[in-house]
Amino acid sequence: MKINRWLIFSLVIAFIILLGPFLVIFFASFEPSSTLRFPPTGFTLSWFKKVIAMPMFQKSFVFSLQLALYSSFLSLLLGVPVAYVTARYDFKGKRLVEFATTLPVIIPGMVAGLALLRFFVLLNVFSVQTTLLIGHTAIVLPYVVRSTLASLVNLPVSVEEAAQSLGASPLKSFFLVVLPNIRVGIISAFIMTFITSFNNVPISLFLTGPGVNTLPIVMMTYMEYYYNPSIAALSTLLIGATLAVVLLVQKIFGISKLL
Amino acid sequence: MPNKMKKYTLLLPALVFLFIFFLLPILSTIVESVYQPQKGWVVGKYLQFFTQRVSRIAYTRSLTISLLVTIVALAIGYPSAMAIVSVPNDSLKSLLMTLVVFPLMTNPVARTFSWLAVLGREGMINNLLLSLRLIDSPRRFLYTPGAVFFGLLQLFLPLMIISLVSALENLPKEVPLAAKSLGANAFNLFTRIYIPLTVEGIVAGSTLVFTGCITAYVTPAVLGGSRVLMLSTLLYQKTSVTLDWGMATVIAVVMLLTTLVVNYLSRKISTLGVSKG
Repeated sequence: MKINRWLIFSLVIAFIILLGPFLVIFFASFEPSSTLRFPPTGFTLSWFKKVIAMPMFQKSFVFSLQLALYSSFLSLLLGVPVAYVTARYDFKGKRLVEFATTLPVIIPGMVAGLALLRFFVLLNVFSVQTTLLIGHTAIVLPYVVRSTLASLVNLPVSVEEAAQSLGASPLKSFFLVVLPNIRVGIISAFIMTFITSFNNVPISLFLTGPGVNTLPIVMMTYMEYYYNPSIAALSTLLIGATLAVVLLVQKIFGISKLL
Repeated sequence: MPNKMKKYTLLLPALVFLFIFFLLPILSTIVESVYQPQKGWVVGKYLQFFTQRVSRIAYTRSLTISLLVTIVALAIGYPSAMAIVSVPNDSLKSLLMTLVVFPLMTNPVARTFSWLAVLGREGMINNLLLSLRLIDSPRRFLYTPGAVFFGLLQLFLPLMIISLVSALENLPKEVPLAAKSLGANAFNLFTRIYIPLTVEGIVAGSTLVFTGCITAYVTPAVLGGSRVLMLSTLLYQKTSVTLDWGMATVIAVVMLLTTLVVNYLSRKISTLGVSKG
């Protein structure tokens, strides 16, 4: 079948809008002078060196990684059992459970951020780190349930029944039979929750406090005061890392698993 | 009975967590926006929201820009999705989808900052126009509604394309072929076959894009700033600069209700389309 050239043309337009700015920022991060410029007037790696060495970015980068890691694990702990029960059983209130676990993607991030801030200020018992962990866990939980559920639906119940009829306890059959079989779902859930937490702005915007900042928030604050290629260099690094992750995911188990 | 108990104990941690740390804060925020224990019913802030110029402009601007982004995303996304679906090579198709998804997964600050190098004073567009002698001094493209529009378009075009690709993939290949062999021209083929059969994808994609635009924060904050205040940036300004928590809460509730209404309407349209089809 011949592909219409108008379709190709619009696809090219789409990719220019989607990826064009990334190419521009890539080249702009090699600009020697201290203005953000395209095309660059020369070539230097000094902005990369500078931005990697800055303590504020180092500190917030490490914190963002930790936060993403902990909230991903916590959301897996909470979400996988929910996915398992909803995939395997019919029970009263099932729809309510499904609704509750998709709620954090329905509620706009800014609304949730403001609501959580008011709530935690009123409660006044948790540290900034803990409130961030709670907020991030809540908003990534839906991805865990959805991704794990999709894997579980494709795994026949008979596999588990076989394991249990051969003497495995329900717990044993879950860890030795079910879990290895849904590992793709679990891994893609983990990647999705990790990226979502690492990139989150609306929740962090409200919940970060003095001395405790995530990388995106530090970047936004820095941008308000300085207009030089250092953020361009940092952006290039983050964009490059993301591209590597997405291409890796596509290579290993297909990008559709993430959606 | 014990089995039933076990089921609920597996569900309990997540449900308790979501109830205490998500649902409760949001419900109390909504309630507090209309009723406060000390003051009783309060609707003054809502009146203020709809009568004050700043908030009214921010709200209508949010709605207009979101609508425009949705329309343009649909106009570019539909043919793009058709192009992707018609790619015969599976690995090329999957690579294209990966590149479509890529901006969604990218750090929002890095992604938005990229536009500063495109639209800034020394950015690509200004330098291009200067070298073509179309302008003789740099223009200001940043902090305009146009800048916010392009930033949002890049951010949400992927969601539109993903929705449309899955809708088009569910459309049986024989249907357009049959219509063509029965003499349908390109226009008829598009309006009477493609659109009605992919209406669910169109509605789903448009809803995601529209509600995404209404609630997005980083893009309007970085590319619009305080010159182009939108609902989300106004909300944050109220909590960080003017410390008007009452108004911030009202803005949050308006934002939430807007997205819920849009979601509800789109579900209506979708089911209508299905029952007619």
